[in-house]
Amino acid sequence: MLSTLQNPRQAAAQLLNFGLILSTAFMMWKGLSVLADSPSPIVVVLSGSMEPAFQRGDLLFLWNRNFFEETKVGEIVVYNVKGKDIPIVHRLVRKFGVGDDAKLLTKGDNNVADDTELYARGQDYIERKDIIGSVVAYIPFVGYVTILLSEHPWLKTVMLGIMGLVVVLQRE
Amino acid sequence: MHSTIVRGQNVFGFFTTVCFAVAALIAASDLLAPRTPRATVAANAVQVVKGRPHYYSTKKEEYAIIRFTMNADFSSLFTWNTKQVFVYVSASWPNSTSSELTNEAVIWDTIITNPSADHLQNIGPAAMKKGRIDLKNVKPKYQITAPSGKLQETDDVVLKVHYNVQPWVGILTWTPQIEFGKWKKLKGGMSKAFKIPAIKKKDTPKKA
Repeated sequence: MLSTLQNPRQAAAQLLNFGLILSTAFMMWKGLSVLADSPSPIVVVLSGSMEPAFQRGDLLFLWNRNFFEETKVGEIVVYNVKGKDIPIVHRLVRKFGVGDDAKLLTKGDNNVADDTELYARGQDYIERKDIIGSVVAYIPFVGYVTILLSEHPWLKTVMLGIMGLVVVLQRE
Repeated sequence: MHSTIVRGQNVFGFFTTVCFAVAALIAASDLLAPRTPRATVAANAVQVVKGRPHYYSTKKEEYAIIRFTMNADFSSLFTWNTKQVFVYVSASWPNSTSSELTNEAVIWDTIITNPSADHLQNIGPAAMKKGRIDLKNVKPKYQITAPSGKLQETDDVVLKVHYNVQPWVGILTWTPQIEFGKWKKLKGGMSKAFKIPAIKKKDTPKKA
């Protein structure tokens, strides 16, 4: 046991390997981010306000470029509200005007009322710049693990512990 | 090399690879199914009323209530990979400065879940199953207004029918602007242009 600790070359190689995996994942995430022009190209659904289309834990792929046409009514967009750090996934139901100044209103399919209440105080509409992407693709359930991790923080500790043990105990 | 952990990792890795490959095949199979939806829509009585955006507001705005008739067949959109189809009717109208339809607001929408997904909530009336919609002179779900609060005597308003297909896995699709392989454009789906009338003057004052 702990033989790796006595072999610095092997330990270093393992550390490098671990770093490589981390940096590959990070590069892929950032690459996708550049491609989609979105700070967060993949999001996990956190609420049931778009049910039955999206349930909690579903994975959404976002696209934030307007090659052929403007973001239009009916699209499902992810937007940020000033002063709130959790982005919201809802459908665009109204659009007044064109271009960057267009006034946009959103609503969750499963909500009775539109989102005016969710916006900042005194804000009646959002703008194109508040949107971080439109939903283009969907994979169910895969993101549920992140919800589990954020709702049960002790799981993070357990996972880190297991990963650390594996790294230390692995012989090769 | 042959430790339990490595074997476990391999099995799990293979499992996820197979899962993603099957999901990708299912998503790609959407392209093979022809889509030939059709819809007709027409505006009926249009009424404008004054109201407040919410109870405590002092601002008075004009709200248009557009009753409409719609007949549509979206049954070809339902394949094994269709989770639901979101159908919505929008009203579009131009600005005072241009003839382009620069404003759009949804006046009615519905979710048609796949018959195989009936365990999900929000099931529409039984008549709406399999993607057929037949509405005659119905009230809109949403009364629309404009940021300016003015909407009466707006010209060239049209109603449009749109849909959004939500798959079990894969790409989300909306009403196509161009023909794409076996996916045809929505046949019809746009009303004649109409005018939003002026606010009705009260002829006989109601008793308090």
